[in-house]
Amino acid sequence: MSIEAKSIHRETFVINLGPQHPATHGVLRIKLTMDGEYIDDAEPIIGYGHRMHEKMGENRTYAKFLPNTARMDYVAALFNSFGYVGAVERLAGITVPERAEYIRVITAELNRVASHLLWAGAFLIDLGGFTPLLYTFDDREQILDLLESVTGARLTFCYYRFGGVCNDIDDEFVAGTRQFITRLRSRMPMYHALITKNIIFRKRCEGIGPITADVCRRYGGTGPVLRGAGVAYDVRKAEPYSAYPQFDFNVPVYPESDCMARYLVRMDEIVESLRIIEQALDKLPAGPVMAEKVPRFLKPPKGECYFNVESARGSFGVRAISDGTDKAYRMKLRSPCFSNLSLFQECSRGMLLADALALLGSLDLVIPDIDR
Amino acid sequence: MTLAELSTQLQALQGSTVTATDHSKQGVNLDVTITSNMIPEVARLMGEAKFALEAITGVDWLAEQQIEIVYDFTCYATGVRVAARTRVSRETPEVASISAVHPGANWHERESHDFFGITFTGHPGLIPLLLPEDADFHPLRKDYGT
Amino acid sequence: MDEQTQVPPGLIHFSVLDEVLDLARANSLWPMTFGLACCAIEMMATGAARFDMARFGCEVFRPSPRQCDLMIVCGTINKKMAPAVATLYDQMPEPKWVIAMGNCAISGGPFVFPGQYAVVEGADKLFPVDVYIPGCPPRPEALIEGILELEKKLTGKRRWPVAPPQLRETP
Repeated sequence: MSIEAKSIHRETFVINLGPQHPATHGVLRIKLTMDGEYIDDAEPIIGYGHRMHEKMGENRTYAKFLPNTARMDYVAALFNSFGYVGAVERLAGITVPERAEYIRVITAELNRVASHLLWAGAFLIDLGGFTPLLYTFDDREQILDLLESVTGARLTFCYYRFGGVCNDIDDEFVAGTRQFITRLRSRMPMYHALITKNIIFRKRCEGIGPITADVCRRYGGTGPVLRGAGVAYDVRKAEPYSAYPQFDFNVPVYPESDCMARYLVRMDEIVESLRIIEQALDKLPAGPVMAEKVPRFLKPPKGECYFNVESARGSFGVRAISDGTDKAYRMKLRSPCFSNLSLFQECSRGMLLADALALLGSLDLVIPDIDR
Repeated sequence: MTLAELSTQLQALQGSTVTATDHSKQGVNLDVTITSNMIPEVARLMGEAKFALEAITGVDWLAEQQIEIVYDFTCYATGVRVAARTRVSRETPEVASISAVHPGANWHERESHDFFGITFTGHPGLIPLLLPEDADFHPLRKDYGT
Repeated sequence: MDEQTQVPPGLIHFSVLDEVLDLARANSLWPMTFGLACCAIEMMATGAARFDMARFGCEVFRPSPRQCDLMIVCGTINKKMAPAVATLYDQMPEPKWVIAMGNCAISGGPFVFPGQYAVVEGADKLFPVDVYIPGCPPRPEALIEGILELEKKLTGKRRWPVAPPQLRETP
């Protein structure tokens, strides 16, 4: 007796991923429509980390909103502060002393290295390898010690002020940073041996999760996601700000557009960031770290401006509108992860669920930054 | 396409005012003010010029009883930044969706709908994004909570 | 809680056995891998090499609430997330404990202002909390201290010495 298949019966089912799931890095929820192990549709549902930052930007004074910026993208807190103080300085016409700009670049780049290290560890956990996290956190702790010695915080740094930074760096910090640069450089081959050359890692990443340059453009994807798609767009080069034009650094680009390309971009960015920090330490000018005559209660003149910085995750922008009072009329915060996640639905179609999680991890998402 | 060509094309649109702004002061290279019915045209032009949509910002001008919508575009190849702005009435804020040209606008528009209650006509699914599913309030309106 | 749902106290007490059980529970807390916001990064740091939570028998992070007995609420609970957090608590088997890590989990932290529309002002609005750890975010040492405090609550005595705070001299 034989059984004949009259027609191929195709059945999809809906499953829920998150908001509590280790691979969603916090509180992201994805509504998956699955066809067996393959994804028919993956709709991210966000808002589980919404914390009213834009509302608070309007009902607090400019200075009081500063700590908030560190709590959006807390893994790379200094970039959000950078964007915010940059926007307000542009509105109020404050010029920052050169030494302060250098210190900003040094601390921000240290933060970028810390953020990428954390990402590398967390991404590997997504792929099923726990060990690298212990190594990357070891190096990250060194950075946190350095940053703590000048900012006073381990994670949510509130270090930049309108017109400069609140604390000058000392010789101990400079010596410690140089020592750290040497240390991390000597450990990069170890990371490549441990992670990059690992066959399981390569199988999970190479050719997986393609995000093309065109998809990035249509969705507004930036940062390592875009550079991993072969587009050399970096705000530090495209719209130079702060002291960045004075440093020589490359923008790592990989045209493969897969998870591996995004991983390699970040690993190369660590090396480039170390180069920037080293140059900044070599050329560190003397002088004050705060602009003179910045009023305690800042009241920028009526106006509007946009300021964006290259955060560890992409282009972070602030559109600030002032009505001449001590509180902003509108404080729009453009988060890079927001756009980077919005392309997930299109890119994950037809992928295996396990591969889609690799893709999700490679986007380097910080959910409260998306939800703001 | 050069900045001048783009400026001319945007200028040619009906009811548009194009201002070349100082990037070091404003953060944008071109500032376009346009009537709300021409927004899809602007989006199409920017799409053809290979610009990416970076953000959509709503602003509630309570005194003028208007809501302003600012579209931030950026070009990855040249680093040029263009802001297109339009104003709609506060009572019935309505503007056409541009998510067909820039799929990234889908979420930005849902966010603006959450915060300001702007209706984007032709949007595939204008449901709350950041606020809970049943949210019926628009917290970033200036008269919210008073 | 009405009378019907209340669990009656045990008729027979096995005092020595209870003490042994408490000691065992205190030394094998299984926390849930559950991050809400910034504090989750410090929780990860506490679990990593430098601070090494495993020294205190509290490192078996489980992604499923069914396998956990400790919930570390690390971060802001907002109104959209609150039902999910409450469900997670309900899904954990008894006995279970909750640590509210950071100011947001204690009271809503910096996100509370008149007319706020999104944040639940404290995890204890949703379920009972055993230990509160203040900080924004608390340092890993603070989280470890919170866990030791929870162990003390479980066993009735503290088995680890109290380190006096080392204050850095300020100029």
